[in-house]
Amino acid sequence: MSKKFINPLEATEIVKNSIKKRRAKDNRLRLYGRIAIGMATCFLLFLFFSIFTKGYPGFFQYYVTLDIKFDRERIDPKGDLSDTSLYEGEASNIVNESLFSIINPQGRKAKKEARKIVSSGKDLRIAKLVKNDPSLFGTVTKVKFALDDDIDSFLRGYINRDTPESERRISDNVIAFVDKLSEENRISYEFSDYILKGSASGNPEMAGIKGAFFGSILTLSVCLLIAFPLGAATAVYLEEIAKKNKITEIIEVNINNLAAVPSVVFGIMGLAIFISIFGMPRSIPLVGGMVLALMTLPTIIISSRAAIRAVPPSVRDAAYGIGASKLQVIFHHVIPLAMPGMLTGTIIGMAQALGETAPLLMIGMVAFIVDVPNSVMDPGTVLPVQIFMWADFAERMFIQKTSAAIIILLGFLITMNAFAIYLRKKLERRW
Amino acid sequence: MSDKEKDFKSLDLTVGDVFSKEARLKARNVNVYYGDKKAIDNVTIDIGNKEVISFIGPSGCGKSTFLRCFNRMNDTIDICRIEGQITLDNDNIYDSNIDVVPLRARIGMVFQKPNPFPKSIYDNVAYGPRIHGLCENKEHLDSVVEESLKRAGLWDEVNDRLLSPGTGLSGGQQQRLCIARAIAVSPEVILMDEPCSALDPIATAKIEELIHELGNEYSIVIVTHSMQQAARVSKRTAYFHLGKLIEVGKTKEIFTRPQHNQTEAYISGKIG
Repeated sequence: MSKKFINPLEATEIVKNSIKKRRAKDNRLRLYGRIAIGMATCFLLFLFFSIFTKGYPGFFQYYVTLDIKFDRERIDPKGDLSDTSLYEGEASNIVNESLFSIINPQGRKAKKEARKIVSSGKDLRIAKLVKNDPSLFGTVTKVKFALDDDIDSFLRGYINRDTPESERRISDNVIAFVDKLSEENRISYEFSDYILKGSASGNPEMAGIKGAFFGSILTLSVCLLIAFPLGAATAVYLEEIAKKNKITEIIEVNINNLAAVPSVVFGIMGLAIFISIFGMPRSIPLVGGMVLALMTLPTIIISSRAAIRAVPPSVRDAAYGIGASKLQVIFHHVIPLAMPGMLTGTIIGMAQALGETAPLLMIGMVAFIVDVPNSVMDPGTVLPVQIFMWADFAERMFIQKTSAAIIILLGFLITMNAFAIYLRKKLERRW
Repeated sequence: MSDKEKDFKSLDLTVGDVFSKEARLKARNVNVYYGDKKAIDNVTIDIGNKEVISFIGPSGCGKSTFLRCFNRMNDTIDICRIEGQITLDNDNIYDSNIDVVPLRARIGMVFQKPNPFPKSIYDNVAYGPRIHGLCENKEHLDSVVEESLKRAGLWDEVNDRLLSPGTGLSGGQQQRLCIARAIAVSPEVILMDEPCSALDPIATAKIEELIHELGNEYSIVIVTHSMQQAARVSKRTAYFHLGKLIEVGKTKEIFTRPQHNQTEAYISGKIG
């Protein structure tokens, strides 16, 4: 035997010696992996913890309970409960009178300040109450009103009563009034009925996400209805039908590139094409959905193609071998088998679309819209844009509302993903 | 042998009798190219009525490629190009007005790896009749499924679980399910591409027995690596080497008195 060969005994020895080192390397790799996972989990937990602890108070706000004398003559002067009649009534004055009877403000300035204690939504609240229950007329009933956002912030401790009056947002007078109301146990901290049911508002105590929530649902529906069929059909065509040549190669490269284009570019494109050329209205969920569909299409196409490519060729052979036409092979075998993967891609795309702000700013979905959109043609906004807008406002209370809206957005996202996983499992479980 | 057929014959080097009296499938001067590479070189052969013929030869000799020409499965490969003529009952199957769908209903195929659909056993067998609209009603379809499974020798093993997935069967059962699926559309020819290469000897024996029985009803072309298998199941054998058809003849004669020295080398284990 030539010298080049290693003696078997020697080889065993060498292997034995190296095994320790190799094992140590394996263990080190495992350790690194564990550290990475541990760190990622910590970050995630920290993120969730901070979002929930900060956002949780956003779902609550301070209310004041007042005894309201429901005087029909003053609240509903025409007596028909119509909007104009209720608008002409002086519900605000009744509320303020009730308030004044408790805190007893002296002088014009104090009265002016006292009027601001109860949120400006008070007349709307009374109008709503009497519309729902006209039997309230003629009674004296306790009604809860939201407190103005500055007072809310004061009660939460964000405004310190020890700072000089000129440097804080509420005056000594108001602090005294609030103390008086607290003494009489008229102030309560409760689950906000504005955050979920209210829409965009300049008054943070009345602001809610209802409009944005429905805007998001409408926009995403449009996006899904356009992007999924289009994306799935494109993927099927490119994988199953198109001949592999230069043109399909160029298309493929460009689709991959599109997936990496910054989303704001799609917004500019939407502005240029849908709004400028086709003259569609601004700020509507239809245009928003179309822009987001353009943005999510590459994601859906790429993942759908991967899913289709993962369908075993033997299944195609089997179907072709028995005489199935191309269409039958695609619809009976390829699509059902690729569906879970296609859905996963779609959900990833939708989740991306749900959190997207930039392209929607370009097409004017950032407009201040109080009404809840009833159709895809009504102007509206979406959750992330609403969050973006709130985060921009100066009032202290919007910070909590922003956090609360973020929690709702996350909840929306988790619900969507859970639904997707359920759907995927259900489709996969068939075999 | 007519003069015309002699012309065909003179073009290639095949030894033995490539022609058959009751030919169903006739391949004439078939060349197959993958891109620039020639995979099948000028092959001429007949497949007789209700005969079992096996294609043998070393790996990569083109026997599977040639088999897939008969039901145009090579159409699904973009770079594959076919020259020459293949006729089924005197209709050129590569004619531009021939649709592959009815062709593949007439010429069934069983693949190397058992490939049942990820559906129930019943749906696997019923798929062909369904897409071709062979059965008017449920009862008819049920009986076709039952008959196909019986012919494939699988009925007794699965009749109590027709709705469970076909992929849950054992390898041999899956392959018989694929055979049942192929015969459910009442083909005239069945092509088998190494149907036993993924199976154990017991399952192989069952399939071979089945092929033997089916040979009374259908023309069967079987590609195999195993010379013993070719000897056991087929009446005729064709030996391929490097894309050429070297020798065709009665199985007995091929294995006992090969005329071509390459065939002899392969049979005796010198090459392959």
